Amino acid sequence: MTDRTPGPDPELALSVRDLKTYIYANNRCNRALDGVSFDIHRGKTLCIVGESGCGKSVTAASILQLLPELSRIEEGEIVYHGAEGPVNIERLKRNGRRMRAIRGKEIAMIFQDPMTALNPVYSIGFQIKEMLLYHTRLGKRARHAKAIDLLRSMGIPLPEKRVREYPHLYSGGMRQRAMIAIAMSCDPRILIADEPTTALDVTIQAQIFELMDTLKREQGTAIMLITHDMGVVAELADDVAVMYMGQIVEAGPVGQVLRNPLHPYTRALLESIPVLGRGKNQQIRAIPGQTPDPYDRPTGCQFAERCRYRVDACAEMPPETQVSSSHRVRCWRHREFMADAAE
Amino acid sequence: MLTYIARRLLTLIPMAIAISFLIYLGLDLTPGDAVSHMIPPDVIGTMDPERLDELRESLGLGKPFLVRYWIWITGVLQGDFGYSLAGGVQISKIFLDRLPATLELSCAALVISTILGSILGTISALTRGTFADQALTVVGMLGVSIPEFFFGLVAILVFALNLGWLPVGGRTLPGYDSFWDRLPHLIMPALVLSIMMTAGVMRYARSSMLDALSRDFIRTARSKGMPEWRVNLLHGFRVALTPVIVLIGFRLPVLIGGSVIIEQVFQWPGIGKEFLSAVRSQDYPLVMMVALFSVMAVLLASLIVDILTALIDPRVRLGD
Ligand SMILES: Nc1ncnc2c1ncn2[C@@H]1O[C@H](COP(=O)(O)OP(=O)(O)OP(=O)(O)O)[C@@H](O)[C@H]1O
Ligand SMILES: [Mg+2]
Repeated sequence: MTDRTPGPDPELALSVRDLKTYIYANNRCNRALDGVSFDIHRGKTLCIVGESGCGKSVTAASILQLLPELSRIEEGEIVYHGAEGPVNIERLKRNGRRMRAIRGKEIAMIFQDPMTALNPVYSIGFQIKEMLLYHTRLGKRARHAKAIDLLRSMGIPLPEKRVREYPHLYSGGMRQRAMIAIAMSCDPRILIADEPTTALDVTIQAQIFELMDTLKREQGTAIMLITHDMGVVAELADDVAVMYMGQIVEAGPVGQVLRNPLHPYTRALLESIPVLGRGKNQQIRAIPGQTPDPYDRPTGCQFAERCRYRVDACAEMPPETQVSSSHRVRCWRHREFMADAAE
Repeated sequence: MLTYIARRLLTLIPMAIAISFLIYLGLDLTPGDAVSHMIPPDVIGTMDPERLDELRESLGLGKPFLVRYWIWITGVLQGDFGYSLAGGVQISKIFLDRLPATLELSCAALVISTILGSILGTISALTRGTFADQALTVVGMLGVSIPEFFFGLVAILVFALNLGWLPVGGRTLPGYDSFWDRLPHLIMPALVLSIMMTAGVMRYARSSMLDALSRDFIRTARSKGMPEWRVNLLHGFRVALTPVIVLIGFRLPVLIGGSVIIEQVFQWPGIGKEFLSAVRSQDYPLVMMVALFSVMAVLLASLIVDILTALIDPRVRLGD
């Protein structure tokens, strides 16, 4: 763990291993994350996709320990590979000094809804500057100048004036830019974006993604992008992890996973979205059925109930299987699907 | 901001007119008429009834109600409040004498309950579910439900009569006029008067704080790596404060009502005590003026609350 030169992945930024995060409500336990593993690399984008409620946000929250009150990381590890060597985040005290030193400075986060993520009673500038206050040694004037620079670099017009304004005067897209400005203010090594554009319209969505792509290329930021939009994945991701009911059912380089999906859920997801250029006659199929009750999960494969390819074996939980050096899948029948694809 | 205040002031005017009209209507419907209200009663008794009728005529009492209202309200606006029936003293003089005492008492209670209530409510919210929170909740419930005069009597019994720490009542002793001399007299009534309001503010501050803490921007604040005190106070408390201040504005009538009783219990020489004796002796002109005055005070308080909210909340300040 103290090994500073991890051979195959010199650019590893974060690795999550067998993470189990449980949420407790009304004396019941929701195994929101049930053994999640993935890596994030510098200068790469990992997209996490999956239906609503599959645990994407809980994954993000676990990494920064911003979980709801009655919840806990029960097992597994989250290792942050920073400049000072690896840190086991799950062992840090939730709001302790060492956790706080990582939040914002090393790993920054952009939230799902820009309308509610900013505090309405403080100016945008104040909310950028307080991040600088805690993580940099800049003086008051320098912080103000930096806040203006950040807004400018996010493409906000008249930043000298806008920096003093309150969030309610910003449009949704501008608020999300301001959120990104806050997140990027201390040059974090990792940026976690939790569906940063669901609340925004398409053109602004494209602009925000372009902004993030630039950051990745120019600063070498590692990006973890949460989305449920396969189109976004195809466009932005280097790697993709498909989640279902608290588990990653398939993960790998985006080309492999999209071209050669091995899990029936990935296939169903891909079939459920229209693909540009395939014309009007393409088949679009909604995924039948509903996700199981999170408090009463099936013991076997979580997707079995809705799966076209279900067999008896699915009553037991399939293991995660590595099908190539970087592509893994959690399905009993993946060999058959591989053979199909080979034909 | 100035235009905002000006506009709010303008909206107050029709309200004030409507209320003064209602009060004058009440005054008009009570037994007796303006002559008996304006001339000291001891003088009236000695006057010849025909003289009185003449006087009524000259005063325009035969005139329509609205005209009389107009004459009355312009008088009030010029500081002519009429006479108290008991003793025939000018009401404006009673106000000048008694108002400072009442203002002193209610302001002290207001300050105590605002500060104490917000602090306790915030502590309660931050420690929710623990013993401290539950204890505060129980105390708050008692504070809201037990009448103030009971606390007043108990306080007098314990701190004045048994322990002898504080004076039983009154506002000052003859010859001791500085604020510091008066302070021991102020402590008990102010604290007792503030109990109910403190409890109310505390409960409200608790729920407002809990609401603020559950909002998304709190998680954003935490994600910046700031210490908990800053997240809770600068982001949580600051947002929770606005509704609390609005509540305090709405609760001011409670304070005014409470001061009537507390002034009686502690023999505090304020308007409230005067009001009670005026009601008892059916001194309608005085009762009416005190009523008018209280309503105006509440209206003014609501204006101040609005201005404060605007200062605190940028959405209100800039939203129009
Ligand atoms: N604050 C919370 N309290 C209780 N349960 C929660 C809380 N947050 C999430 N959960 C539960 O955790 C599970 C995963 O939720 P999560 O928010 O991670 O989903 P998601 O993939 O982000 O969905 P979406 O696309 O809707 O954002 C769900 O079963 C949800 O009910
Ligand atoms: Mg989510």
